[in-house]
Amino acid sequence: METSVLCRLNSAVEKYGDKVAYKDNENSLTFRQFNELTRSIGTYLARLVPAGSPVVVMSGRHIFTPACFLGAVRAGCFYAPMDGDMPVTRLNQILGVIKADFMLVDKAHLDIAQGLDFRGTIIVMEDIIDYPASDELLGQREKSLVCTSPLYVIFTSGSTGVPKGVITSHQSLMTYIDSVSKVLDINDTDVLGNQSPLDYIAAIRDIYFPISRGASTFVIPKNEFAVPTALFETLNREKITALCWSVAGVELPAKLGAFDVLKPEYLKKLCFSGSVMPCKYLKIWQENLPDVLYVNQYGPTEATASCTYYVVKEKVDDDTVLPIGTPYDNYKVTLLTEDNKPVATGETGEICVSGPILALGYYGNAAYTEKAFIQNPLNSNYRELIYRTGDLGSFDEDGILHFHGRMDRQIKHLGHRIELGEIEESARKVEGVTDCCSLYNKPKEHLYLFYTGDATSKDIVLYFRKNMPAFMVPRKLVNLDKLPTLPNGKIDMQTLKTYFK
Amino acid sequence: MMDELMEILEELRPDVDFANETALITDGILDSFDIVALVGELNDAFDIEIKPNNLVPDNFNSAKAMLALIEELQDE
Repeated sequence: METSVLCRLNSAVEKYGDKVAYKDNENSLTFRQFNELTRSIGTYLARLVPAGSPVVVMSGRHIFTPACFLGAVRAGCFYAPMDGDMPVTRLNQILGVIKADFMLVDKAHLDIAQGLDFRGTIIVMEDIIDYPASDELLGQREKSLVCTSPLYVIFTSGSTGVPKGVITSHQSLMTYIDSVSKVLDINDTDVLGNQSPLDYIAAIRDIYFPISRGASTFVIPKNEFAVPTALFETLNREKITALCWSVAGVELPAKLGAFDVLKPEYLKKLCFSGSVMPCKYLKIWQENLPDVLYVNQYGPTEATASCTYYVVKEKVDDDTVLPIGTPYDNYKVTLLTEDNKPVATGETGEICVSGPILALGYYGNAAYTEKAFIQNPLNSNYRELIYRTGDLGSFDEDGILHFHGRMDRQIKHLGHRIELGEIEESARKVEGVTDCCSLYNKPKEHLYLFYTGDATSKDIVLYFRKNMPAFMVPRKLVNLDKLPTLPNGKIDMQTLKTYFK
Repeated sequence: MMDELMEILEELRPDVDFANETALITDGILDSFDIVALVGELNDAFDIEIKPNNLVPDNFNSAKAMLALIEELQDE
C-alpha cells in the first residue's frame, strides 16, 4: 500500500519520464523535470522546515505551482495554498488560522507576501529551483510520511466570518483519485484542461491525474474563460480529452454561444461538480458533443470534494434534474433523520458520508471539527466517524441518490461554496450598515444584500471588493428602512425574496 | 447611450474606473462571470444580440469599445 502521493510521483517518473506532465501557455514540464523541481524545492525546505509543518504556498496560475505543492510534500510537510488575487484581509485571515512559519511564493507574489501579517520566512520559488537535491534528506522526509499524514489544507467559507481550513490526508486524496479515475477511465492518453484555480479544491484532479495515471494537464489561462471562442480553440490546439470543471465553468461556453462557432474536437470526458447543473446548458453540450461521457459529481470538500457520481446516459431536457447517483468506491453514504434515525427508501434525510476519504477536520478548530465529524449514531459497536454534509437527499428504489438542497444557509455561487451568514457578518462591518440579510436568487445567480442604514451600495461593494474574494461580492444591493420580520422577530426572508426580479 | 452604458457598468463593478481603463479584459479586470452578466444586461438594455464572435478582448477592453460594438450591432 502506498504511504504517500510521493510513491505515485516516483513511479510516474520511472514510467513516463520524458512525457509532458504539466503545460501552460508559456512552459511545459516533463515528469522528470517536474520531479527534479520538487526535489530541489523539497531539499531546500527540508533544511529549514521541520517535517509535519504547514507550508503556505502563494503562487500564480502556472505549472510551477503544483511543483511548489509537491516540493513541500517532498520536505515531509503539507501545503496550504492561497490565491494571491484575494484581498489582503482574506489572506491575513487564512494566515491567522494556519499559523505557518514558512511561505513559498513565486516572484510575482513576493510584494503581496511582504505586505501581509506574516512574521515567518518567505521563500521565493524561482530562487531555489536549481538547489542541489539531497537523496538522503529527501529519503528521510519521505519515510516520515504515513498515508494518514495531512497532504494539504484548503480554505472554504465559514459562517462565523473566518474561513475554515479543511485538512485532507494522502490516503483520502489517493482514494478519491483512484475512484474517480475508474469512473472517467483516466489514463496516459488523456490531456486534462484545468479550469479551477490551482489553490481550490476542484483542481486536485488536474494536479494528481498526471502523477497517478500518467495523464497530462494543460492549465488554461483565466482570460480565455471570458472569450469562449479562444477557450475552445485552446481545447482543440492542446487536443484536450478530459475536463473536470465546475458547473459554472461548463455553463459559460454554452451561455455565451461558443458552440455556434466551433466545437471541442478531442473531448471524450466531462465531469462537472460544485453545484446543481441547469440542464438547459448541459443539453447544448450533449447536442453538440453526443459521444462525450458526462458525469455529474456531488460532494463536499470535507469528503475530498466528492461523495457520489452519476453518469448521464439519458438525453437531458431543459427541466431535467440530474440525480447525484451512487457512491464512489470506498465511500459510504448514510441518510439520517433530524433525530439520528435511519431513513426509509424514498424519504429525505441528511446526507452523511464515511470512509477513508473523510478529512482530518478543520485546522486548529477542534470544536468545529467535533460538531461536523461525529460517531455514526447508527453504530454503537466500534468507532466510525461520519461527516454530516448539511445537504438533504433521498435514495430511490434503484439505490440512486437524489439531491434536495441544504439544511442551512450555505449556497453555491459561481462554483464556490458560500455561507450567507459570512456575507452578513462582513456587511455589518461596513460603516453605515445597521442590519442586513443576504439571500441568493438562484435562477439569476444574483447574490443579494438587503440592508438598513446610511451606507450607499457603492460603499458596501467597495468594502467587499477590498476584503472578500470576488465571488463573495453581492451583485444586487437593496437599501430598506426596515427589514421585514416574522411574528417571532426573525427576518422574513420570503418577503425579501419578492424583491428578486 | 454612453450614460446608460456607464450606469450598467458602474452597477456591475463600482470598483472599476470605466472612464479610463483600456485593458479591462487583457488585464483581467473583468472576469468571465462579469462578462456573462454584462452580455445579458447589454442585450436587454440595448436590444442587441452579442454573438460569441463579438466576445473578443478588443470589443470589451474599454467602455468606448463596448459602445462602438453596441452601435455596430444596433445598425445590423
